[in-house]
Amino acid sequence: MSGFLRSGDEKIAITFSSQEAHVLINLTEQIIELLSEEDGGTHLSESHSVDELMRMVGISTNDAPPIDPVLLRLLPDAYGDNEKSAEFRRYTEHGLREKKRANAVMIREALLPQDEDWDNDSPLDVAHITCVIESEAAMAWLSGMNDIRLALAVRLDIGKDRDAKPQHEKYELMTESDPMKAVYAVYSWLGWLQESLLNLL
Amino acid sequence: MGTLTEEEIKSDLRPDRPWVTVVWDDPVNLMSYVTHVFILLFGYSKEKATELMMKVHVEGKAVVSSGTREEMELDVQRLHEYGLWATLQRDDEI
Repeated sequence: MSGFLRSGDEKIAITFSSQEAHVLINLTEQIIELLSEEDGGTHLSESHSVDELMRMVGISTNDAPPIDPVLLRLLPDAYGDNEKSAEFRRYTEHGLREKKRANAVMIREALLPQDEDWDNDSPLDVAHITCVIESEAAMAWLSGMNDIRLALAVRLDIGKDRDAKPQHEKYELMTESDPMKAVYAVYSWLGWLQESLLNLL
Repeated sequence: MGTLTEEEIKSDLRPDRPWVTVVWDDPVNLMSYVTHVFILLFGYSKEKATELMMKVHVEGKAVVSSGTREEMELDVQRLHEYGLWATLQRDDEI
């Protein structure tokens, strides 16, 4: 496991084990899928049909908050007032989804083998994958990793109670066979990766 | 924009800065990340950004910028892009 490192003046490099890369590719794909607008049923609004012309200019006719708590954390309300939030959502949610999707797509593409013969289902047969990124892409990486952590946090039930026992204690006490322990390990690892990248900025 | 009440119109026309952007505490965003986002989006010094981040962390929320409603909507939008939990409201509702 290694973090982000400077590579010359303008670039940053990171090396992932193939297992780490697999995990990250999988998570970015889940985020891309989640943020796609073809998510019939995830909004409370009944009028789900999106007017194509409105869509072209980035306005959505769907202004209800998402039902999925993960999506609601990624696309939160802008006002305490429901009516004002709905109006804001109509004009901005499409753009917000696109930005977040673009970050996830960028991370995924950086991790995929450049080999054209490689297909998505075959295992990565290299031990390590090194990504070299431009310094200016660092914020997009940070933001993309942050979205994954926000999504995992909802599933891990982190953040509901400010006075709750520190989460790391709860998850450290879990048995190794508990799948949530592995999810928490990925969540912590991504936080550590973010910190290593922030240290370079 | 929807129909504004008379009071809202008056408020929007006030020459002072009647709207504010509030960032709320959450345990997921790293302290260093939040500080960095404040520096990047608002051009704050490291000291000011750190102070605001600590206020969010300790008090549960902090006003991070103020201006017109349109300006604050843009700030909230940008904060959401970076995954921070932000809302806007009128200054006197704080």
